[in-house]
Amino acid sequence: MTPVVELREVGREYQGVVALRDVSLTVERGELVGIVGPSGSGKSTMLNLIGTLDHPSRGEVRIDGHAVRELSDRALSALRANTIGFVFQQFHLAAGVSTVDNVADGLLYTGTGLGQRRQRAAEALETVGLGHRAGHRPHELSGGERQRVAIARAVVGRPALLLADEPTGNLDSQSGDGVLRLLRSLNETGTTVLVITHDREVAATLPRRVAVRDGRVVGDG
Amino acid sequence: MLRVGGAGLRARPTRVVLSALGIAIGIAAMISVVGISTSSREDLDRRLAALGTNLLTVGPGQTLFGEQTHLPSESVGMIGRMDPVTSSTATGVVVDANVYRNDHIPKTQSGGIAVLATRTDLLETVGGTVAKGTFLNDATAAYPAVVLGHKAAERLGVAAPNELVHVGGEWFTVVGVLHPAPLAPELDTAALVGWPVARQRLGFDGYPTTVYARSRDDAVHQVQAALAATANPEHPDEVEVSRPSDALAAKQATDETLNALLLGLGAVALLVGGVGVANTMVVSVLERRAEIGLRRSLGATRGQIRSQFLVESLLLSALGGAAGTLLGILVTTGYATYQDWPSLVPAWATTGGIAATMAIGALAGPYPAIRASRLPPTEALATP
Ligand SMILES: Nc1ncnc2c1ncn2[C@@H]1O[C@H](COP(=O)(O)OP(=O)(O)OP(=O)(O)O)[C@@H](O)[C@H]1O
Ligand SMILES: [Mg+2]
Repeated sequence: MTPVVELREVGREYQGVVALRDVSLTVERGELVGIVGPSGSGKSTMLNLIGTLDHPSRGEVRIDGHAVRELSDRALSALRANTIGFVFQQFHLAAGVSTVDNVADGLLYTGTGLGQRRQRAAEALETVGLGHRAGHRPHELSGGERQRVAIARAVVGRPALLLADEPTGNLDSQSGDGVLRLLRSLNETGTTVLVITHDREVAATLPRRVAVRDGRVVGDG
Repeated sequence: MLRVGGAGLRARPTRVVLSALGIAIGIAAMISVVGISTSSREDLDRRLAALGTNLLTVGPGQTLFGEQTHLPSESVGMIGRMDPVTSSTATGVVVDANVYRNDHIPKTQSGGIAVLATRTDLLETVGGTVAKGTFLNDATAAYPAVVLGHKAAERLGVAAPNELVHVGGEWFTVVGVLHPAPLAPELDTAALVGWPVARQRLGFDGYPTTVYARSRDDAVHQVQAALAATANPEHPDEVEVSRPSDALAAKQATDETLNALLLGLGAVALLVGGVGVANTMVVSVLERRAEIGLRRSLGATRGQIRSQFLVESLLLSALGGAAGTLLGILVTTGYATYQDWPSLVPAWATTGGIAATMAIGALAGPYPAIRASRLPPTEALATP
């Protein structure tokens, strides 16, 4: 079976700043991987390349068997819509829009009809334990709840790959634990999860850790 | 697509209203200018249709040397005998007579009211009507009886018939007051007395100063051309012929330059409104980078981001256009009702207005929309 994520000697430079150099990484289906490392080490850069939001300066990125470099904007967008789910540190929820509609936006670009989107969004909200807050708007929720809404949005389309960039970065440890538990249970139902974390304790509990430093992978296992 | 575009607008209602306002004002200004002038023209057309455009007037002109002439006495009869003339009548200015409310008022304060010797068939030809009392008849035309024009009655303070006024040094009884006569406004400020009494008591010379003639509708121009020679065969060049309905229409035409100016101002407002929409969209793109990044991460293609902002800008200007059209129609209706005109906004104005706003939306949209679609997703998401 093809790996979900394959990086081959990938490098990324920003106007002379080398953010990532010569990174090779393979993630198989169903894995739960923590990406750790100091600030500025290139973790987000790596995750963005995996999420096809960015392109490498050199090397090859293959996601779900597709070589990213060869895909058109349309095909890349389809890949992001159907195969990849994103969770961000800042949640990025639409203010003034109910949680169920925020979650339904996760299916906006998959060609699903509005009724179907809402229904699946309600189900996804149940999965993250927020079924009773469907009509509430983001500002009425706690940080942990907002992040769970964001996770529901990321997984409502049942993506094979879930990418989370410091999902607990803006949360207290208790809410952070809740979010981590949620990611774990999603992983148990088959989703491949890559999560960036600063928290050593959290990282220690993950089955596989990729350590990054100065743009290189310095530890894996 | 519409839903996503609409949601973007709904999230910022104040700004949407303000930037749509510019367009709304421009469209409203243009539509009400067109609407009001169309309504007033429609009103004129209807009034003219009611009054008839077949009334012609004949008066004395000047000689080559600038001396005032007079129409021959026979001219009324000559004109009346013209084949296409269906009716004719005449008035004559009683030069030396003035009208006063009573005999205490100094002679100099005549109030601008002319005394006209009048034939009893005046109203049928001119299309005038009596507001109060009666018009002169063969009996009263020989007595000191007077009929006052609408404004003359007002100026003299005569409210009802049977009051007395001082005409040319004699007491005359008011027997009637006329309604305004749009085709013969000179009657509004006149005191009308019978032809015989004017000759006998007011020193009237008996020369007609205005001959009124109604012609068959199909022969108006023909009659108009022949009138001068008929009225005064010896000196046709000393006769002035005019068509009062033309004067009414001409008064209307003078408003056209003002309309053009207002229309231009409306266009400027529309342009400024368009710039406002473009500005709003540019600001919106800058502000919503995170949203754009998120949408890209959710699988929106560049084209979909572009369309979203295009639709937003089209919606924004359509909103302004619809509001402006409505406002323009309201203003037109309000003004027309106030003026007692039929209210009329031509369809070309409303469709043109809507088309103009859509064009503005289409012009204002692409630049910000393309900027939004070109934004790299990671950069967009990195903005706090
Ligand atoms: N758009 C960019 N332009 C220039 N330099 C960039 C850009 N994005 C990232 N970098 C640089 O690349 C390096 C890696 O950045 P990255 O965001 O991947 O770090 P990180 O490991 O995610 O850090 P943190 O834990 O603070 O989020 C940093 O030195 C950063 O300054
Ligand atoms: Mg980072």
